[in-house]
Amino acid sequence: MNAHISAWLAQVLATDAPALPAAMAQQIWLHLGWSVVLASLGANLVARWLPGRPGRLDGWQWGIALVLALWTWVPGPYSPAYWLGLAFQAPSISAVLLCDALMRKRFFPTQDGMRITEGISHIALAFACVGVLTGWALLLDTLALLPVQMYVWGFSPAAVGLLFVTALIPWLVGARSKGSGRSFVWVLTVAVLVFVVWRLPSGNVWDAVLDPWLWLVLHVYVARTLRRALRRYQGENR
Amino acid sequence: MSPLFPVRSIYWRVLLALVAVCAVLAVELWQRPGLPPAAVAARPVSQPPAKLAHLAVVSKGEIPMPSGMAAAHASSLLPMPISHAAAMTVFWFSGDRESGPNVQIAASQYVRATQLWSPARFVVNRFVMGEQLGHGLRRLGNPVAWMDGMGRVNLFVVATGWGGWAASRVLHLRQSSDGNGLAELAFEPVRVLPLSWLWNTSFLVRNAALQLEDGGMVLPVHFELGIKYPMALRFDADGSYRGMVRMSQRPYLLQPTLVAQSPLVWLAYMRDQRPQGKIGVAQTTNGGHHWTDLADLALDNPDASVAALGAASSQMLLAHNSSIESRGTLDLSTSTDGHSWTLVKTLERGSFDDEFSYPALAWADGSLWISYTVDRKRIAWQRMAPGTARAGGKP
Repeated sequence: MNAHISAWLAQVLATDAPALPAAMAQQIWLHLGWSVVLASLGANLVARWLPGRPGRLDGWQWGIALVLALWTWVPGPYSPAYWLGLAFQAPSISAVLLCDALMRKRFFPTQDGMRITEGISHIALAFACVGVLTGWALLLDTLALLPVQMYVWGFSPAAVGLLFVTALIPWLVGARSKGSGRSFVWVLTVAVLVFVVWRLPSGNVWDAVLDPWLWLVLHVYVARTLRRALRRYQGENR
Repeated sequence: MSPLFPVRSIYWRVLLALVAVCAVLAVELWQRPGLPPAAVAARPVSQPPAKLAHLAVVSKGEIPMPSGMAAAHASSLLPMPISHAAAMTVFWFSGDRESGPNVQIAASQYVRATQLWSPARFVVNRFVMGEQLGHGLRRLGNPVAWMDGMGRVNLFVVATGWGGWAASRVLHLRQSSDGNGLAELAFEPVRVLPLSWLWNTSFLVRNAALQLEDGGMVLPVHFELGIKYPMALRFDADGSYRGMVRMSQRPYLLQPTLVAQSPLVWLAYMRDQRPQGKIGVAQTTNGGHHWTDLADLALDNPDASVAALGAASSQMLLAHNSSIESRGTLDLSTSTDGHSWTLVKTLERGSFDDEFSYPALAWADGSLWISYTVDRKRIAWQRMAPGTARAGGKP
């Protein structure tokens, strides 16, 4: 019995039996991922220059998002995915899901009463802080400045299980969330599940849940959220 | 505010979470290959001479270049099966200039019947590979060849992203043609190896793989974005990537070359980026699970690539530039303990500005084969065997 448990534990902790994605799945993800990210960025930029009317679908935002998304699917060097893949490989599943959530929030702002500007989601903030710290650890590991090899752990089933448990914590403790926080807190759960099925984008679960661009954006999100919370606190105590 | 997913009882939530985690782990384990056996280095296939110090050059020359190409660098030797028409295949990168946009991976084969190198041809093109991968490859370089358990040639090449060599990734290619004669040899990409979180950038391959008993191998690579450090990647007999281990804690060692002292005790010799450099050494005593830094070799080295080969039990060969400041001298040394080295022969001795660099070693057909870069323009080769024989050879 002990031998069985030891063997099972060895499998769960193993970093030298990775399941890597199929080449075709990687290619599809490269285009799908960047198409969603670019569409979201494009719609966001247009909204800053040409703000639409609240509660109405905006033709410019839709149009730009659609054009960018379709352009990314063009094969070969005429596609932005070809060059973005050259520089940055594929985006993480989390980044793509977050861009998708942002886009849906922008295009369907009245669907459940959500607004672009809304209160602070403590769960989203907590996840963002964990993401920032995890990214720093992975960066230090890349530069061999950690005594352990953190990126390699991302090939083990244990890391996948641990991230999945982490993703379920808000639900386990019965946390309640409002507005966008409600959809954002499920991003990690869905990202891990998509990774388990398709191994995207690289076969390493760290690449699935956090990429360097998302990590940088999380820094901005955390800084802005804390600044907003600080201003609110100062306003209440004035 | 509303609950994230409306299950009120904490007990039900814990139970559902447990079931979900177990399901995720079950799918994870089901998808993965079994754990690999312990990594045991294969014994050298060919029987070397009893005394490596008596090796003598039997033939030498230059390998034919692809027509019109002015630059050549970083050759890799691949011994072919005894039944093959060619004894050896050599790969290198060639183009108008190093890191030029038209650089491709070239290959030539030493034909047993004619005792000549065949005319070179390009076997990997970055545009073709980029098209098959779905994303661009800016430059190609440093091919390293290995034959997997099914007799397919696998090629690992450096493929750069935006930036120079420091923006490199390791691209794994596999033979797509039915045969591996030079005329038909073709490759298709397997994947860009997932080696780091930072956009998977700045990993390079340079030296030959260490063959394992199970038909797999260990491929030495290194990271070089500011800090330099070596890594060992493991592949199974099928050519599937199985994992990686950092080989040194020192931040200035790169381009490791592996040699087995015994099935489980291996040494890694590394280029040292510091001025007044020596040759860095690391050792594993458990088949690559853990590596320990050892004292540098006494040999001088001008921050240049070295190549090691385990020619027989406890007999090792090392091709290395032996001056501190110049790559103008290329030596071949031998050792029985891996630490004390004796000069076998000076392979090339030129002026201060000459360059004989990036050596590759292989043992095939009872001889030692050496290839190296000459002035970043040509690839030269030498074949050494026991006893004396004609020198001069055929180009």
